[in-house]
Amino acid sequence: MDNTAASWITPPSRPELIENLVSGVDRYNPNNVGILEDYLYHQIRNEEYDCLANLAILKLYQFNPELYNPDVVINILIKALTASPLPDFNLCVSLLDERPVNAQLDEPDPLPTHLPILRGLNDLLFRCRFPAFWDIYRSDDLESLRDNYTVEVAGFDNAVRGVVVRAVKAAFTRISTARLGSYLALSGDDLAEYIAKLGWTIEPATSVVRVPPNPENQIEATVVQESIKLPQLAKVISHSVSKA
Amino acid sequence: MAHQQMPIWATEADIDEDVDLSLAIGNYGHGHFEDAPIQHPQLDETAMIAIQQHMAQQAAFSQIPDVVKAFIVRFHQAVLENNLEEITIAYESGWNKYTEKFYSRTEWPEAEIIAPLVNDDPIFLILYRELYYRHVYSRLQPNIDDRFHSYENSCELFNYLLNSDGPVKLELPEQWLWDIIDEFIYQYQVFCTWRSKVKNKTDDELVMLAEGGPVWSSYSVLNVLYSLMQKSKINEYIVATREGKSQEEIGEIVGEFGQRPLYRMLGYFSIIGLLRVHVLLGDFTLALKVMESVELNQKSPFTRVTACHVTTYYYVGFCYIMLRRYPDAIRTFVTILNFIMRMRQYHTRSYQYDQISKTADRMYALFAICNALSPSRLDDNIANIAKERFGEQYAKIARGGQEALSAFEELFLYACPKFITANPPPYEDNTAMTDLLAPADAADTAPPGYDATQRHLSLFLADIAAQLPVPTLRSFLKLYTSLDAKKLANFLDVDEEEMVQEMMVMKQASKSLSRVPGGGEITSLLDGRVITTSDLNFIIDENMVHITESTVGRRYAGWFIKNTERAQKIFDDLKHMPLPAPPASAANASSHRSTHPGAASGAIAASAATPAGTAKETTDAQAPAPRKVAWGGARA
Repeated sequence: MDNTAASWITPPSRPELIENLVSGVDRYNPNNVGILEDYLYHQIRNEEYDCLANLAILKLYQFNPELYNPDVVINILIKALTASPLPDFNLCVSLLDERPVNAQLDEPDPLPTHLPILRGLNDLLFRCRFPAFWDIYRSDDLESLRDNYTVEVAGFDNAVRGVVVRAVKAAFTRISTARLGSYLALSGDDLAEYIAKLGWTIEPATSVVRVPPNPENQIEATVVQESIKLPQLAKVISHSVSKA
Repeated sequence: MAHQQMPIWATEADIDEDVDLSLAIGNYGHGHFEDAPIQHPQLDETAMIAIQQHMAQQAAFSQIPDVVKAFIVRFHQAVLENNLEEITIAYESGWNKYTEKFYSRTEWPEAEIIAPLVNDDPIFLILYRELYYRHVYSRLQPNIDDRFHSYENSCELFNYLLNSDGPVKLELPEQWLWDIIDEFIYQYQVFCTWRSKVKNKTDDELVMLAEGGPVWSSYSVLNVLYSLMQKSKINEYIVATREGKSQEEIGEIVGEFGQRPLYRMLGYFSIIGLLRVHVLLGDFTLALKVMESVELNQKSPFTRVTACHVTTYYYVGFCYIMLRRYPDAIRTFVTILNFIMRMRQYHTRSYQYDQISKTADRMYALFAICNALSPSRLDDNIANIAKERFGEQYAKIARGGQEALSAFEELFLYACPKFITANPPPYEDNTAMTDLLAPADAADTAPPGYDATQRHLSLFLADIAAQLPVPTLRSFLKLYTSLDAKKLANFLDVDEEEMVQEMMVMKQASKSLSRVPGGGEITSLLDGRVITTSDLNFIIDENMVHITESTVGRRYAGWFIKNTERAQKIFDDLKHMPLPAPPASAANASSHRSTHPGAASGAIAASAATPAGTAKETTDAQAPAPRKVAWGGARA
């Protein structure tokens, strides 16, 4: 994750057609929901992510309850999960107006059962309770979520590991293999391979993983000195000029 | 006014049919009015109704105090002449004065009643109704007819503005234009809130809601706002202005509508209106996105209307909270709260003062939230006021745990916007309604889910709960430069692994996206880069925690600048003061004054441009005090 909001506002992978929809008045046109939904499934297959485009779908659902498609909503929430610690998941849930039990759907609406589960998972990720996340995510209770949804989301597990890596990179300079393994839900060769792919190294003697230096795990005590900008002095200077 | 009754009657008779018609086709369930002419085409009956109505109107008309009649006539005249000054007086003081005097508890006369006074001018009557309904909403309890009719009236007004062949000639004060947009959204919000409560509706109301169609629908509200923005080409205008284009070029870009102040300001206010609507609907990113071209600074045109200025910052700040961008939220609130404080002396007399200070109080509460989540020392003054006002909550937050959570909840509920649900409960679906109402009998709360505020609150509190242990952790870390993780876990009496995970949360919480302050280029409100927000930093080296702290060097500049400015002001004031007559030679001095009237008045009215000579002359003539001579001399 780079350290500006630019790629979140406009991901480089976003096609022009979508950009026009997201930024223009056409985003309110219910006829465009199909385009945006297709784009969501494109994201799901290709490990891309575009929060604002997905919010535009939820906006259309908010205004046009007849468009509502629970599978799309669940997929959007799954994609937003792995953006943690950004608030994407909450932003999506904010747009989910409660709706009356929808009689038009052929099957019972899966959202009411899945939403609390997803919110629980989001909470675990946001609170960096990574081992607990994997335990619950892989528990029998969540079989339906895995089999019906996350299995379709390309690279979901790795996207969650991305969240882990971001958190670990910021807080650690060295971390035991066991601890890192429990965060990533990996062990043995898989773990070694994953660590190698990250470009991190394992100290052979202690089997402790060395996290390469980055701006966030380099700390030093600083004294912040004030710096005075010219505009702060404008009044004082202009006063003496006008009175001279 | 009574003398004019004859001609007024005459005109009234002319329009009777119009009035009758509009009542009859008002499609809100006046069944018998509709049916009468169709089923019984006898003239007698319709004539009877017309006559009855005529008489009722006459009676109502004669009830209107003469001063109010005169006021309406003058108001109308001012609008006809596009006399902004007169309109402003009528709008800001006249209307409120007579409201206090005659209509503090009742409606103003209906537009149909006063129509004869204004020659049935349809435009003025629309504007009058705008005020009429606003008064009903703010002072009285609007019934469902008021809610529907006020919507209709707003539509008529916007249709008139948007669908005329060219720009309309009307001119209105900026304050009023803002109030029109503001009120439009307010009524929409109130309607949605009222609509979402399915209980305690009369049968009539249920029928009307079922058949309400587009009345106060989100789409129609957005449509108005977007139309005003497009008609005025406001975004193009802002961009062109920023690029420093000439007046002619800008005129060409924005076209005949955008050139007129009425449209331009309505366009501007519509952007702010959209910001607000999106926040009410829970779309915090889109809310900031529509503000893309608006520059958030004190020079922006929207700051000319204080209510608009305050609203803008409130909603922008709130969006930042929901985006977890607490430093941005803090900066937003501090800016506007300082502004409100500085302007207070001018606003106490404004009819909007109450509203503004209420919003300010809510922003202090939001500031308290942000400050707890991301402590900063941006402005001690504001922080102290917030602490004073919400001392109880501050104390609870400091104690942590469940108590802190409830304090956050109190602050949030007190200060959050009045969220709405975009869609109505299924009034048109009988079976769904019965389902909805049936279980609600048991528990007397609203059915779950139709309360948008609870949804946003629960999301917010989940965020807070995740960060609750951070302050405790922080207070321990502050005591060490390095510390074994196991030892720290023992201090805290928690599991070591749990604690290490909590420290990652702490690290996350110590950084935030933030707009780069003062970074020359214009960036949208969503833009930003990651900054560190905490003065305490740490890393974990396997099982050792290393801690560093950044300290802020003592700041002198602000103090010196403030006091230099203050000294300069005192100095200026002193110079411009008339000199006191020396007590010993009072008579002497007064004779001087009469012989030099020019010099004396020159001293009183001296402005920055007053030549030094005048002041000096006065000094020489009147003041033997050596101090005064000293500054006179310093100038020479």
